[in-house]
Amino acid sequence: MQEDERLSKVQIVLTEEESNAINEMFGEYLADSEAKDIILLNKSGELIAKSGDITSDAAVMVSALAAGVFSATNELARLLGEKEFTITFHQGQETNIHISLITPTVLLAIIFDNRAPIGAIRFWAKKIGNSVKEIIKKAETRSKKQEAPKGIGQDIGNEIDNLF
Amino acid sequence: MSTFNFARKEISFKIVYYGPALSGKTTSLRFIYGKLPEKVKGGFTSIATETERTLFFDFLPLELGSIKGFKIRLSLYTVPGQFIYKLTRKSVLRSTDGIIFVADSQRRKKEENIYSYNDMLENLDDFGESLDKIPLVFQYNKRDMEDIMSVEEMQEMLNKENKYPYFETVALQGIGVLEALKMMTKLVVSKI
Ligand SMILES: Nc1nc2c(ncn2[C@@H]2O[C@H](COP(=O)(O)OP(=O)(O)OP(=O)(O)O)[C@@H](O)[C@H]2O)c(=O)[nH]1
Ligand SMILES: [Mg+2]
Repeated sequence: MQEDERLSKVQIVLTEEESNAINEMFGEYLADSEAKDIILLNKSGELIAKSGDITSDAAVMVSALAAGVFSATNELARLLGEKEFTITFHQGQETNIHISLITPTVLLAIIFDNRAPIGAIRFWAKKIGNSVKEIIKKAETRSKKQEAPKGIGQDIGNEIDNLF
Repeated sequence: MSTFNFARKEISFKIVYYGPALSGKTTSLRFIYGKLPEKVKGGFTSIATETERTLFFDFLPLELGSIKGFKIRLSLYTVPGQFIYKLTRKSVLRSTDGIIFVADSQRRKKEENIYSYNDMLENLDDFGESLDKIPLVFQYNKRDMEDIMSVEEMQEMLNKENKYPYFETVALQGIGVLEALKMMTKLVVSKI
């Protein structure tokens, strides 16, 4: 697959084992780093995995907005002659969010409360990103044909109406 | 980019509502939000100016039923149609699985429709994408208004070869909106 194609159109297929491995890893890091939540998402804004007290619904929203912010920030980067900003960080009164690009298509968002020093946030973002990267890379390169649920796209005709 | 999650038995798709300013994209999404049952829809997020014009995007996540044991998730987005938000539109369009183009049927909006359609093609091209790979469905919107173009004129303007499905819609009343979304869902799901 060409690099260009990867940027916009890679499918991510997580197996059950990979998904479990990510969850377990996030659980451990959550305790070690004292982060509030760890969220893995793709550039389309889709939630891949989450850990922490955040509800699934909230994590879905955070993913969409984080990807949006990231994408907009990158149009800004290009305007400034920069290829890509790989990290964005937002600091509030109570909460901080650190968003980083860990593969060409996958983003990691980590939410901390404001006790965490910026250096620690950077450190943990890098560490967690590197750990999860290996799993994601495997999932990204896996061929869509092999792993897509078989036959799901066929004969869906009227089933769509029942979905809504 | 569609995402399979075997652990959660889910497939997710991103669908973007594109089109010129004030054509009815946000109205379409609001109708869907109002229409669908609680268990299907997530929250509606709108990043808008004080005058309700879309500034960044609207976002509505849907968690539909299952097909062959896989839950279908849709993330619906609208782009800001106003000219000045060109780069924002581009950033929202990135990595989409399908596009619903909401055209404004009013005759005086002809140029804006064409501009917006070409703007969309350019953005796709910049991503190395094209309509050969990404499904497109048209909503010919505002069919209730005065001085609108005929369906034939709309087709001539945007869909000359009748390659893409189209729906005559009145987003304000919800007419045709869900039908267009169902068609889009069918198309993105059949792609996998
Ligand atoms: N009569 C009529 N009015 C409509 C219809 N659809 C939308 N409108 C109105 O058109 C105006 C603009 O609609 P929006 O949905 O905000 O338009 P938009 O495409 O999201 O515009 P931007 O966010 O600027 O890109 C609103 O006043 C709507 O009520 C329709 O089918 N018929
Ligand atoms: Mg809008």
